Amino acid sequence: MSPTKPIAIIGGGPAGLTAAAFLQRHKVPFVLYEAGPKVAGLATSFHDDDGFTYDFGAHFINNRLAAALGVGAQCRTVKYYGESVHLNGKSYGYPLGLLQSPRYVLSGISSRLNPRIHKRQFRSAATWFRASYGSALANEVALPLLEAWSGVPAAELSAAVGSEKLQNSIAQTLKFRNIGRMTGRAVACGYSHEIPENSHMWHVYPDGGVGLLCRKIAEGLESQIRLSSPVEAVWVDNNQVQAVQVNGQELPVSGVISTAPCHILSRMMRGTDRLAALAQFRYRPMMFINLRLKGRGLLKDTVVWLPGKDFTTFRVTETPISMPWLAPVGKTLITVDIGCEKGDDLWSMDDEALGESCLKDLEPLIPDIRQRYQGCRVLRASCAYPVYLNTYEDVRQRWRQTTGVEGLYTVGRNGEFSHALMEDVYWRTQRKLRGILPSNRVMSESPGATPV
Amino acid sequence: MSHSLTQSLTTPLMGAIHRPDSDRPLPLEPVTCCVCGSDDAEPLAVGEDFEYRTSPDTFLAVQCRCCGLVYLNPRPAMTTLDRIYPLDYHAFDFSAERYGLIYRVRQRLEAKRLLSACQRLGPGARLLDVGCGDGFHLKLLRQFGRSDWQLEGVDMSDRAVALGRQQGLKLHQGTIQAVDLPAHQYDLAFMIATLEHVDDPAEVIQAVRRLLKPGGELVIVTDNTDTWDFRLFGHRHWGGYHFPRHWNLFNANTVGRLAMETDLEVVKIQTIVSPVNWVYSIHNYLVDWNAASWLVKQFSLESTLSLGFFTLFDQVFQAFGHGALLRVTLRRPFEN
Repeated sequence: MSPTKPIAIIGGGPAGLTAAAFLQRHKVPFVLYEAGPKVAGLATSFHDDDGFTYDFGAHFINNRLAAALGVGAQCRTVKYYGESVHLNGKSYGYPLGLLQSPRYVLSGISSRLNPRIHKRQFRSAATWFRASYGSALANEVALPLLEAWSGVPAAELSAAVGSEKLQNSIAQTLKFRNIGRMTGRAVACGYSHEIPENSHMWHVYPDGGVGLLCRKIAEGLESQIRLSSPVEAVWVDNNQVQAVQVNGQELPVSGVISTAPCHILSRMMRGTDRLAALAQFRYRPMMFINLRLKGRGLLKDTVVWLPGKDFTTFRVTETPISMPWLAPVGKTLITVDIGCEKGDDLWSMDDEALGESCLKDLEPLIPDIRQRYQGCRVLRASCAYPVYLNTYEDVRQRWRQTTGVEGLYTVGRNGEFSHALMEDVYWRTQRKLRGILPSNRVMSESPGATPV
Repeated sequence: MSHSLTQSLTTPLMGAIHRPDSDRPLPLEPVTCCVCGSDDAEPLAVGEDFEYRTSPDTFLAVQCRCCGLVYLNPRPAMTTLDRIYPLDYHAFDFSAERYGLIYRVRQRLEAKRLLSACQRLGPGARLLDVGCGDGFHLKLLRQFGRSDWQLEGVDMSDRAVALGRQQGLKLHQGTIQAVDLPAHQYDLAFMIATLEHVDDPAEVIQAVRRLLKPGGELVIVTDNTDTWDFRLFGHRHWGGYHFPRHWNLFNANTVGRLAMETDLEVVKIQTIVSPVNWVYSIHNYLVDWNAASWLVKQFSLESTLSLGFFTLFDQVFQAFGHGALLRVTLRRPFEN
């Protein structure tokens, strides 16, 4: 890396800002280009006049990330968090409640006892889930959810959808649940790949959502952040990143760290076709329909999974069960997640019609939902989740290792095309950047200088 | 601390006194490893100021992946020292009146330990206690050591220094880097429960080194992370974290490396018995789980029973070389 030309960071979300703060600490010159008018666009919480807070997803983090960023004092403890599965009119706690069904348990045990399971190469997510969970649980719960979430048949998805996910043992899940109950803290279970979890890690909600974290990370970086400045092109010569084009201007850089979705980055590249295959990477668009309702605790748990084919949604979330401050007293907010494709009928439907269709969907769960309904607000995310299609699995595997272009690096969920969660994005981004720095040592520091 | 001062602070909250500014977050600053300079560290524990509740912050203890040092990151800015060391901080008032039997037992024990470090000192030797507080150790040396030793202490706290001076001790107020003391004049320096509190251990040790005669020794006593109490409680409640006041925590390796970085010879690294981290690990655990305050009080510096029990308990670990504290003897080489 040249000491004079800066590194360009594409995107001012949690990953891009973490990368920027890291480079700042290591005295590496950089400029962060954010397409939107402010940092943390999608990470920002929205508030309405009635006292409801809307997030793109449940915006809790854990206390470890909060402490690492020094915002622990601005976070509230999430006292409880639970998930359940609603299937054929019955509710099961997730994941342990499902074990009460002998059919699921027997099918799970028999597949686990199959000696070939450890040696098998799984062709698809469908075969992986059937082998790992047993056919009954996979066919009735896991695969329908996966298909609704990704929008493609499980047979077309890579086995990595399951195998790369954090697999907590039942014993650990039980331990964390019980400690959570005893301490009145929602102990985080299955939220961190990078650093081991322990029973002293729990969910916290930053006041102001993940936007608070972004603002905190961005402190002191302001002069290096360019807002409303989408990067239009990345120029490569001789397989080495040379420049970025912003507002029609070509700016020489020593490297690029991208958080842009892969198919968009692929289109930005000039002077190389090494990223051409990335154009086929798909992200599942998602709509979050937030229903404002009278009452509280209308769902069985914070999150209810709906694998049944009779539901348009696969997941509903009543965030105020875990985070009461997200809705005014006596009212609640239920977020209905609907996977769709950009421009399809659902995506183009107006908000009121979407609200109406959700009410119909949820009547089996909340019979008097219409009397409780007070309107809705819809958030649309065009790149909500990376879809691991088998057709490009080999490209994805290579992409995980390297971009193939000197000086081009990717971080964050969209940039890496990974299912990483908040804390992982933070630690992983730093780990990755540490790997590309010329020296592991912080340049400004010189401990143990020559004694007198 | 004066009695009226304690009274002016209001109701105890889980063993800690409620402070008017305890709702205000502290300014926190990111740091790197003070031993090797790396910032590549594994998060170990999230904690709070379980003992004094001086702020609403949560703190992260991390372990350097390069050298193994355990340190607080981010940590309170230097401007916050008045807040994180409140007026009722125990080091400002470790008195016979407040601590009774414990004071007398500790006095005997500490005197024995101090004198064992002084065996090779001749008449008129010059001794310095760095981070001396109100002069607890200097008083012991005055009482049990040779009468012709010249005893001096340095501490940042003007209040602690004033208390020590009232008792006739020669104390200097300020940091060791800033106080005006003669170079190459001291035979022996102590840093007892000091190294873990300072912002830049290497710089502090270098400052002490400058004051030592060639061949003069520095004895450091600090919390040991190579212990069973750390292994058991290190995910949150370990007493040695003393959130947010212990900024750097060592083991034999890291302290040895620090000695090398500061050009001091390692004479001896040993561990010694202490009940404090055991007792405070349990104290913090109980506070965190909202245990009744009468129970919490059974695990504090004022509890003879638990301190006594864990002194014996830690003897077992000490026998295997894993006592709760590290005692490190370093020497300034003769040749430079």
